[in-house]
Amino acid sequence: MAGQSNPDLSVFSAPEVEFLAEDEMVEIVPNIRMEALNMICGDYGPFFPQIASKVPLWLAVALKKRGKCTIRTPEWMSVERLTQVLEAERESPREFQPLPFHYVEISRLLFDHAHDDIPDLYMARSLIEDIRDVRFHKVETGLETISGRTHAVKLKNLSAMEVNIVRPFMVRALQAFYKHDSPHLIQQPRAMGSRQPQVVDRGPRRDLRPR
Amino acid sequence: MKARSVRLREAHKSSGSASYCSILWDLDGRHLVTASASDTSVSIHDVSQPSKPAKALHDHRAGVTALAFSANSSSLATGSIDHSVKLYSFPDGEFQSNVTRFTLPIRSLAFNKSGSLLAAAGDDDGIKLIATLDSSISKVLKGHKGSVTGLAFDPTNEFLASVDAFGTVIYWELSSGIAVHTLKAIAPNCDAENSLLNVLSWSPDGETLAVPGLRNDVVMYDRDTAEKLFTLKGDHERPVCFLSWSPNGKYIATSGLDKQVLIWDVDLRQDIERQKFDDRICCLSWKPNGNALAVIDVMGKFGIWEPAVPSCMKSPTDGALSLQAKNANGLLLFDEDDEKPSTSGSLDDAIEESHGESMPLSRKRLRKQSVYDDNSNEDSDGEDGLMRQIESRKRSSMKHQEGVRGSKEDYVSSSKWAKSKMQEAFQPGSTPAQTGKRRFLAYNMLGSITTIENEGYSHIEVDFHDTGRGPRVPSMTDYFGFTMASLNENGSVFANPCKGEKNMSTLMYRPFSSWANNSEWSMRLEGEEVKAVALGTGWVAAVTSFNFLRIFTEGGLQRHILCLNGPVVTAAGFNNLLAVVTHASGCLPSGGQMLEVKVFDISEGTQPVGCHLPLTPCSYLTWFGFSEEGQLSAYDSKGVLRVFSNQHGGSWLPVFSASKARKSEDENYWMVGLNASKLFCIICKAPESFPSVMPKPVLTLLSLSFPLASSDLGADDLENEFMMSNLHLSQIQKKIEEFSAAGLDTSELDDDAFNTEAAIDRCILRLIASCCNSDKLVRATELVKLLSLEKSVKGAIKLVAALKLPMLAERFNSILEERLLKESKGTSLTTNGTITNHTSLLRASPAPEITKVVETTSTSSSATMPQSHFSRHEKIEKANNMVGGMEPCKNPEGENAKIVFNQMKSYQPINPFAKKPNNQEKVEEKRRRDMETCKDASIRNPKEGVNQAPSIVASRGISNDGSNQKQSHGPVNPFAKASSNHEKSSLLDSIKKMKADHADEKVNNKKQKKKQEFK
Repeated sequence: MAGQSNPDLSVFSAPEVEFLAEDEMVEIVPNIRMEALNMICGDYGPFFPQIASKVPLWLAVALKKRGKCTIRTPEWMSVERLTQVLEAERESPREFQPLPFHYVEISRLLFDHAHDDIPDLYMARSLIEDIRDVRFHKVETGLETISGRTHAVKLKNLSAMEVNIVRPFMVRALQAFYKHDSPHLIQQPRAMGSRQPQVVDRGPRRDLRPR
Repeated sequence: MKARSVRLREAHKSSGSASYCSILWDLDGRHLVTASASDTSVSIHDVSQPSKPAKALHDHRAGVTALAFSANSSSLATGSIDHSVKLYSFPDGEFQSNVTRFTLPIRSLAFNKSGSLLAAAGDDDGIKLIATLDSSISKVLKGHKGSVTGLAFDPTNEFLASVDAFGTVIYWELSSGIAVHTLKAIAPNCDAENSLLNVLSWSPDGETLAVPGLRNDVVMYDRDTAEKLFTLKGDHERPVCFLSWSPNGKYIATSGLDKQVLIWDVDLRQDIERQKFDDRICCLSWKPNGNALAVIDVMGKFGIWEPAVPSCMKSPTDGALSLQAKNANGLLLFDEDDEKPSTSGSLDDAIEESHGESMPLSRKRLRKQSVYDDNSNEDSDGEDGLMRQIESRKRSSMKHQEGVRGSKEDYVSSSKWAKSKMQEAFQPGSTPAQTGKRRFLAYNMLGSITTIENEGYSHIEVDFHDTGRGPRVPSMTDYFGFTMASLNENGSVFANPCKGEKNMSTLMYRPFSSWANNSEWSMRLEGEEVKAVALGTGWVAAVTSFNFLRIFTEGGLQRHILCLNGPVVTAAGFNNLLAVVTHASGCLPSGGQMLEVKVFDISEGTQPVGCHLPLTPCSYLTWFGFSEEGQLSAYDSKGVLRVFSNQHGGSWLPVFSASKARKSEDENYWMVGLNASKLFCIICKAPESFPSVMPKPVLTLLSLSFPLASSDLGADDLENEFMMSNLHLSQIQKKIEEFSAAGLDTSELDDDAFNTEAAIDRCILRLIASCCNSDKLVRATELVKLLSLEKSVKGAIKLVAALKLPMLAERFNSILEERLLKESKGTSLTTNGTITNHTSLLRASPAPEITKVVETTSTSSSATMPQSHFSRHEKIEKANNMVGGMEPCKNPEGENAKIVFNQMKSYQPINPFAKKPNNQEKVEEKRRRDMETCKDASIRNPKEGVNQAPSIVASRGISNDGSNQKQSHGPVNPFAKASSNHEKSSLLDSIKKMKADHADEKVNNKKQKKKQEFK
């Protein structure tokens, strides 16, 4: 978690999450002939005009900005697929539909940079916003149900952005629980700083804080 | 919508007011019987002779309201307002008997399927069932409140359905005479009007009963449960007054009070054809053996609507025979029933008759129908009719495209004239015209030319896929209406078909860049029509309707005009090669086309290839062109890609089959191009078979693969790879030959050839492994013989040894030995020449001693020759010895070695190459003796013998160096083999070992490097 701007809260800023999402692969259709690009993360290409090839999102966006390619909309971003997902999200209040881990970021990046390649842009955009809202709402209501008797919270298919939003709350809440659970810690409030108590009380904490 | 209306002529004089008329076909479709409620006579019209006056039967004393034919049309029943039902024999029209009398007018008559029962009903109470044999009344069915206006026997003879004027339908069970179902007021109430009669009709298979519904529709009821199944609702604005099923039950014709007649496809529940009339049509009848519908209106005018069902669709009679046979249930009383004329023949007639006048109608229909065609399960008959019609006419390109589109359906049915149509000329990479949509005139690996028609003119755009490299071409307004185009990196060529006197066919060339202004040019062809265009480097070609191949230069100079053998199919250009596909002859009786391809070398003025172009049976050419490497290729409508290869004296190899490559059924591959190992295509989701311009299509790469039989080896990939690399190798070798003939540098190609060989060897080794694993030892040995590098043979031996197959290892060893032996013999001969060269070279430069020695002997060259021969021969001998000598040690049996030895011995004298060294050996020995004597005689230089040896080694060193350089020359070069031989034979050559080793190592290193590079 070296890249976090705020290590205390274990939270990423939105640009950071976006940065992570840029490593996802997307399909582009180049409109030029280009030799293979040798990057640190791997070799991409060679590129032939009108023949689709897979590259990371950051490269796709870079090429798109230069007018060298069109980005193919991923299958999950088609309007019919999104409509299905939205319906399913609304129908099952306890579950999350499987979407790419970085769906919020990817769709955002595509809407920003490749809006001319997306069929039914406005429809897709509003659908994704709806899906996001529904899911965030679900997360919130799910967290409200946490009570003293809750032993575990299971959140499957949660995406990066959603995890990121939940994270500070969860961390704080858990810290509070530990504090009240262990009598030793009562006399040591936050004065010790965030790192010290972690070292002291590593044993029980590990079980409860899977990363 | 309506292009032609059915001509009606008067059959019965009307009294000025509407009166119910009826019409009927006889069984063989030669006669029509008409009757009118306002006319006492029944008319029999001969259809084939319309001018002949109709035969009239004047037995009734009042208007005739009902007609019915027995199933074999041998008897005709008529019912009249005069309360009587009369029976006539047919076709002579003899009155036979008064079957029955009612107390009130007859409204309806019906024969059952077998003709044994006649049902008659009218305003009277009750339906009479009359046995036709003795005219006795077998039953009277009572239950209707009003007059019964419609009767229909179920084809399986189980039920009788009847409808009355109030719209009530009753199902009667014939055996018991009980009303099984009573459906009240489901049909329109027509009690008020006399000329209006409710009707109903069973489908020919007897499964459904069609009754006019209350909402201007037709409602289908189930046979057994009398439940409403579905309705045919469409364009009738007023209630349906008559309906009739087509003989096969696929269509239903309905007539409405809105004076129109509709034909419905029952399966699709869709109206497919309509016709509007001046008066209400009160009766319809399908021709039992043709695509025709007889209609009669309330004024007594009748006509024949032909073809009623669009000819592109399934004929209304198709399958009727089987239905009848099925329904007959052995109850046939009349033998004649079996003697129905064949449906296909009569259909043919029908189309022939109709062809002239109904063309526009059917074509217009076709456009609408093409939508249905895709999802309806059609037989090919209708389609074929279309083909024939189209064939017989000169078509504009628009119609042509529809034809092609129509024929894109794959029909399994083995219809007689399926696809017996010579395909029209087309441009590779073009898509059919679609109104209001942009379409491709040309699409290739380089770019595309698209066009869209606006009012009167077209808008043409040229786009290159590679926007970074290709030139920017401004879009063009086209007043010619170009339909053909071709594109390469230098320019584009366009042509339009001839559109009458004023619009002559024009050929136009637009270069993308030129040093001079105004370098675009156009040619007009008077009376001639461009059919296909192609262009290459520095030339433009157009093939015309006169079967002329016109070749122009890039600047527009008319360079050549050649005559072609037949009508052109397509043309393609690549650099200086032009390939033209023409029809070689008419279609085969089986429907296959005979195509011929010719390749011209424009710059040389030669014709390198001229052969037939194979096609999959019953398919047509859809793409034709060159691969990126310049291989001639063709793709047909069954999805088979063929590449022309010089192997086997020039033949076409199938390298791709869409049916095997297809992942899902609804994918169509639209061919764009190919290279050595991949095919580029655009995948279109069925039913589309070609791409649209927007969104920009994306190319998909598919691997080429031979359509191999599924082998028991289970290594199809390897086998395919093996064949594919062999194909490449042959292509490379052909190129090497061409290049070396032209005196060009072939080193790059040589490298390619070597790499391909190495790849083939690797593939073979893997195949050997899989052969060994599946216990196909014979196959494995065959494969070993195909290995090109000696090293790989050794590898194979190792491999087999590792797989614990000692027997196979032995066999491989003997193969290796044989091979070495052959090579050594081959090289001993071939190196002779080279060594002399080297020695002569040597002689020129360094050692004066040698020349001195030489002087002592007779001729200069022959002095060194024998020595070199000797040393070489010695080596070979030693190598042989080694093989012979070492073998027994390796081999516990020893016998094998002996056999090898024997073979070698017997082999030598047979081999003409082997003989020469033998002879030479003798000569050599003589000379050696001579030399020795010379040596003895001349005491000039005692060292010369020793000196000579190194000089020879040096010469060998040079030759090795030479082979180092030319190592990559592959099998064409004798040096390559010589060097490998050196490696082997020099191992034991003790004197020369020290120096030779150095050179050999070089060779080895180089080889290994190359191998590693590609491993």
